[in-house]
Amino acid sequence: MSGTLDVIVRMVLTLALAMASASMLVWVERRLLAAFQDRYGPNRVGPFGLLQLVADSIKLFTKEDWTPPFADRVPFILAPTIIVATGLLSFAVVPFTAAGALVDLNIGVLYFLALSSLSVYSIMLAGMASNSKYSLLGAVRAAGQMISYELAMGLSVASVVALAGSFNLREIVAAQEGLPYVVLQPVAFLIFLIAGLAESKRSPFDLPEAENEIVAGYHTEYSSMKFAFFFLGEYLALVLFSSIATALFLGGGNGPWLPTIVWFAIKMAAIIYVFIWVRATFPRVRYDRLMAFGWKILVPVAILNLLVTGALVVARSAGG
Amino acid sequence: MQGLPSESTLANQSLWPLGVYALLVLAMLAAVVIISALIGPRHSARRRDLPYESGMPPTGTAALRFPVHFYVVALAFLIFDLEVAFLFAWAVAARDVGWLGYIELVVFIVMLLAGLVYLWAKGALDWGASPANAATPVAEEIDG
Amino acid sequence: MTVLFYASAAVATVASLLAVTRTQALHALLYLVLALFAVALCFLSLGAPFLAALEVIVYAGAIMVLILFVMMMLNLGPESWARERHLLPRHAWLVPAIMASALVLLTLFAVLSAPQQATQAASVGPKAVGVALFSTYLIGVELASVLLLVGLVGAYYLGAKK
Repeated sequence: MSGTLDVIVRMVLTLALAMASASMLVWVERRLLAAFQDRYGPNRVGPFGLLQLVADSIKLFTKEDWTPPFADRVPFILAPTIIVATGLLSFAVVPFTAAGALVDLNIGVLYFLALSSLSVYSIMLAGMASNSKYSLLGAVRAAGQMISYELAMGLSVASVVALAGSFNLREIVAAQEGLPYVVLQPVAFLIFLIAGLAESKRSPFDLPEAENEIVAGYHTEYSSMKFAFFFLGEYLALVLFSSIATALFLGGGNGPWLPTIVWFAIKMAAIIYVFIWVRATFPRVRYDRLMAFGWKILVPVAILNLLVTGALVVARSAGG
Repeated sequence: MQGLPSESTLANQSLWPLGVYALLVLAMLAAVVIISALIGPRHSARRRDLPYESGMPPTGTAALRFPVHFYVVALAFLIFDLEVAFLFAWAVAARDVGWLGYIELVVFIVMLLAGLVYLWAKGALDWGASPANAATPVAEEIDG
Repeated sequence: MTVLFYASAAVATVASLLAVTRTQALHALLYLVLALFAVALCFLSLGAPFLAALEVIVYAGAIMVLILFVMMMLNLGPESWARERHLLPRHAWLVPAIMASALVLLTLFAVLSAPQQATQAASVGPKAVGVALFSTYLIGVELASVLLLVGLVGAYYLGAKK
C-alpha cells in the first residue's frame, strides 16, 4: 500500500504532466505546422521560440476579462471551466507510470467516457449563454458533431473491453503484454483516432470554429483567460485522447529497456504527431459529409467490428 | 451471487486521491478565473456592449431556429448511447456469458441496426437541402 | 463511504429543489445535472460503480443533452421566464406540496421501521452486472432493446411530424 506522500507526489505529477504537455503542444503544433508549410513558426521568444508560451500566457492574463452584459453570467463563466476540468480530471485514470494511474479505478474506461460526454456541456453552455448568433451556430454544430462521434468512440472502445474483459486501464495495458491490441483491433484503433479528432474538434473536423463562416464559433464572445481555457481544453483533449489510445491500443508503457513513462511518452508523441500531420494535410470537411460519415460509416463499422471481436473472444474462451 | 468471477469491487486503493485531485483542479481553475478577472484592464466605449456580428450593428435577437435535424441526431444519440451501455455490460462479461450471451448480443445488435436502418431510410441521416428536409417547417431559416 | 453517501444525498436533494423552483430553463437544467451527478456519487458510495458511471453517461451525458438541444432549438427568451413565473403562482404549489410531504413521511416511516442491517449493501463490480444481465435477465435485456427501438421510431415520428 502506498503512503500518503506517494499519492500526493503522483497527484502533482499527473496535474503537472497534463498541464505542461497540453501547453507545450501549442508551441509544438505551431512549429510542426510551420515545418510542413516550409516556414519558421514561432522562433523569437527564447531558444527555438520555446518561451512563446510564457509570452502568450502573460498577454492573455493581462487582457480585459469581458463578461458581456447581454450574456447569462453564471453559465457563461462555467462553460470554459467545464472543458478544462473534465480534461484534467480524466488524467486521473491514465496509467503514465509503472505504478499505474493516480487512482486504479475498476471502471476507468467508463470514467473517461463519462467525463468526455460531460464536455459537451461546455460548448452548449458557451453557445447558449453568449446570446450571440455566431456562438449559437457554432455550439449547435459542435454539439451535434461531438455526440455523433462519441457514439463511434464508445463502440470502438467496447471491442477492446471485450478483448481484455475489464474496464480497468491498468489491466487492459497488462493484457497487451507481448501483443498490443492495435494488431488485433486495427479497425477499432482507426475509429478511435477519427472519433478523437472529431471530439476534440480538430481539423479536418473543426467546423464548430470555422472562422470563414462563423467567426470563432461558440467562443466568439470570450476573451482573456476564459478564451484561453477553450484552447487549453482542446489541447488537453488532444493529449488525453492520444494517451488513452496509447493505453487501449498500443500497450501503454510496455516495452523493452526503457522505463514505462518513456515508452508511454514516445507512443503518445507518435499519435500526437499523426494528429498534427492530419491537420496540415486535410482540408475541412463539409458538415453534411461529417455527420453522414459518422452515422453511416463509423457507427455501422464499429458495430460490425464489435460483433466479429465478440465471436472471436467467445470462441477462444470456449475452445481453450 | 455464487459462481461469479472474483474482481476488485471499485478501486484497488481508496478513492480519496481522486477527491483531493478534483478539489485541486477546481481550486486551480477558480483561482485562474478570479485572478484574470482582477488583473485585466477595464474599458468602456460607445456601442461596445453588443454581440459581435462582423462589425455590423446586430440585427434582431440571437433567438435562431434550428433545423429539426439536430433534434433527431440528439434523439438517436440518446437511444444508441443507452444501447452502448448494454453493449459495455456484455463486453466486460463476454468470456463469462459464453455463446448464449453472444446470441443475446446478436439479437440486441440486430434491434439496434434496425433502428439505424429506419433512420437511414427515412433520410434522417442526410443533411443539407433535400426535399425531405424542406418539408419540415423549422428548416427554413438556416440551411443545415 | 457513509459520509460520502450523506453528503451527496444532501447535494442531490438541494439541487433537485432548486431545479424545480428555477424559472429559467437553462439554470433549472444545470441544477438537475448537478443532482444527477450527486445521485451517481450515492451509487458509488453504495458499492455500485458500474451504475454510477452509467448514471453519468446516460442521464447527464445523453438525456440532459437532448433536453439542452431542445432548449437550444426552441430558444426561449426572457418572455418565457415571465410566463413560467405566471404559470406557477403560490397556490398552485399547495396541493402537490401536501402530497409530496405525505410521501416523504411515508418513506421516512418505512425506512425507520425497516430492519437496520439492510443499509450496508455489498459491492458489485461491473463484470457481475454484465454476467447477471446477459444470463439471468436475458429476456429483460431483449425487451429493453425492443422498447428502445419503439422509442426511437416513435420519437422520430413525432419530431419529424411537427
